[in-house]
Amino acid sequence: MGGLLQLEGLRRSYGPVVALDDLSFDVLSGQVVGFLGPNGAGKTTTMRAIFGLTDLDAGRVIWNGGPVGQAERRRFGYMPEERGLYPGMLVGEQVEYLGRLHGLSATAAADAAAVWMERLEIAERRDAKVEQLSHGNQQRVQLAAALVHEPELLVLDEPLSGLDPTGIEAISRVFVDRARAGCCVLISSHQLDLVEELCDRVTIIDHGRLVVSGTVDELASSGPRRLEVRIEGERSADWTRGVPGVTVSEVASGAARLVLDESADSDAVLRAAMAAGRVTEFSFGRRRLSEVFRESLR
Amino acid sequence: MKVLITVLVAALLVARIAFYVVRRRRRAERKAAAAEPPAPAVRTPGRPHPQLRRIEHALGDVGLVAGREIRERVRGRIFRVGTIIMLVGVGAAVVIPTIHSGSGPTPQRVGVVGGLSSDGRQVVAASAKANDDKVTLVNESSTSQAKADLRAGRVDAVIVDSDEILLDQPINASTSPADSGLVNQVAQYLGVLRAYRVAGLTASQVERINKYQPVAVSSLVSGSKGTNLSKGTSVIGMVLLFFMLTQYCTWILIGVMQEKSSRVVEVLLAVVRPIQLLGGKVLGIGAVALGQAALIVGFALAVGAAVGSDLLHGAAPLALLSELLWLVLGYGFYCWVYAAAGSTAERQDQVQTLALPLSLPILFGYIYSISVVSSGTANAFFKVLAFLPPTAPFCMSALVGLGQVTWWQFVLSALISVCATAGMALFAARIYRRAVLRTGSRVRLRELLRPTGSS
Repeated sequence: MGGLLQLEGLRRSYGPVVALDDLSFDVLSGQVVGFLGPNGAGKTTTMRAIFGLTDLDAGRVIWNGGPVGQAERRRFGYMPEERGLYPGMLVGEQVEYLGRLHGLSATAAADAAAVWMERLEIAERRDAKVEQLSHGNQQRVQLAAALVHEPELLVLDEPLSGLDPTGIEAISRVFVDRARAGCCVLISSHQLDLVEELCDRVTIIDHGRLVVSGTVDELASSGPRRLEVRIEGERSADWTRGVPGVTVSEVASGAARLVLDESADSDAVLRAAMAAGRVTEFSFGRRRLSEVFRESLR
Repeated sequence: MKVLITVLVAALLVARIAFYVVRRRRRAERKAAAAEPPAPAVRTPGRPHPQLRRIEHALGDVGLVAGREIRERVRGRIFRVGTIIMLVGVGAAVVIPTIHSGSGPTPQRVGVVGGLSSDGRQVVAASAKANDDKVTLVNESSTSQAKADLRAGRVDAVIVDSDEILLDQPINASTSPADSGLVNQVAQYLGVLRAYRVAGLTASQVERINKYQPVAVSSLVSGSKGTNLSKGTSVIGMVLLFFMLTQYCTWILIGVMQEKSSRVVEVLLAVVRPIQLLGGKVLGIGAVALGQAALIVGFALAVGAAVGSDLLHGAAPLALLSELLWLVLGYGFYCWVYAAAGSTAERQDQVQTLALPLSLPILFGYIYSISVVSSGTANAFFKVLAFLPPTAPFCMSALVGLGQVTWWQFVLSALISVCATAGMALFAARIYRRAVLRTGSRVRLRELLRPTGSS
């Protein structure tokens, strides 16, 4: 297994609304790639374009150097944002059916469906109708349907939304395992902390344009320094006023997260903090993905 | 015949009501199942039938989609109950008439006072045959003896000197054992024989008169060659055709809408082409429709043969087979229309709004055809409708039932329907592809017909 998905100059408009505006980026095999952007940025349109579900005005979707046709899409797995299962169909039959549509023989589809349902802990529900399952279990069935044919490219639109922590952990493990097995995994999500933990690489888009792309490490270590300061009894970051080169990123759980530009002096920050009260924490840190996201979209 | 059609329509209405009740209940169950139920399983699914597997394999993706449709539809309670109700209705329509006529000739004992000439005996025999009676003549020694036998029920009627007929009860009394048809006919013919005698006709003159041939009857407008029986069968077939056509096309409409509303269509179209998905759905439901119709027609023919039903004699089987063919052709044409319409909707109320205008041509063809078959005469407008694909399934079937169509007209109409179906399939696939992935409010046809990229 292994492959390379390349999106080149994708353009798509719906009347006056530009959904994709010359969007280009790559998805490498062996990596979990987080695909981020605010609502309406064009993530779902991009994912649909990979599967030919939306007509492009311009641009190409390339898989391993060639155009993507029906034969290639059989080797892809897709989990749309709004999900898509037959509510009245039995779970086991549904997973098998989708496996067969992806080119598996009847026996292979049945075997693979059994393996994935076991792995995703829904094996005991195989004879239940999908509509009788909880949201979380329906999500697992959807994922089993996307994985049953061992795809080379996995495209998942908001796969973790609405899951409990156990479900998130189980499903995240599957994504990482698939990537390590050589699969290309592209995930969109608004849960940035999860993406930071799960993904090797992140691509952020806005208004259909690429904003930033890179590994999580690259993005976290790039940009100005971060400083986290906690002062006993202080719930705001008003004390930073007047300290040159310092802006407040966020104040959460009693700690102020500060962005220091090149002119900022950390000693001056420490002095200002001590003047405001007893300092219980003063530490430098990397950029969080949420900060990368926010700062990229400014 | 009216009773039979009423029975059939009632049975089909019951099937329809049952269908809606079950669907309502299912919807309520779905709502109730907001929280996951503790019951782990509904039922154990059977492995797909080997023949279904072969079809799936042979037709590739289209076969897989069709196979799923067949499995899901045939497995449904609505389909099974509906089929049983239709079989019962058709069985009743075939069997009930034979219960009345199936007991054989009615035995009639006719007393004779004063003898009966050979002409008189022939008159009685001919009347008995015409009224499906088996007459036994009993010589009576006197009128008083005959009256005694009448009162005792030993005879049902008495012919006195070929000049009078005696009955115990009035002829129209429901308790009279005498067949009124037989009595009236014998009285009529004996009166004619008496007139011959009074007129003093010779034996050869009487013989010549008896060998009369009726004059030809013709009309300015060509009339029906179909018998009442084939007309009746034709009407029954048309009722079934109407119910099945609307039923299966509604399945297509709802099926496409449900795939859209459940968003499963996005997963499916990520791997199969729209025409494959649509083709598989149409093929699968069509196979179920044809199977159910063939089962019902086969059942009707088998039951009819077993009980010796008059409904399936003469041109009736041909009319039924023609209706079976027109079910396929009509389904072929309408299924694409309904599929395209279904792809523009994603809610039940939107489907209901769409279903009514779509069913109007079917309803018009059906009602018009029933009235034409009942009157026995088709005008030029009706004959034109028999060549138009939306109305041809009913109008052409009606013409076959009436015997007012030649084979080449039948074939021409079928060819027109096939060509129109091909055009409709291409049009529907285009609409479907553009509409089925668009969510939110119902998609307008005008928007779908715009060139790509402008929306």
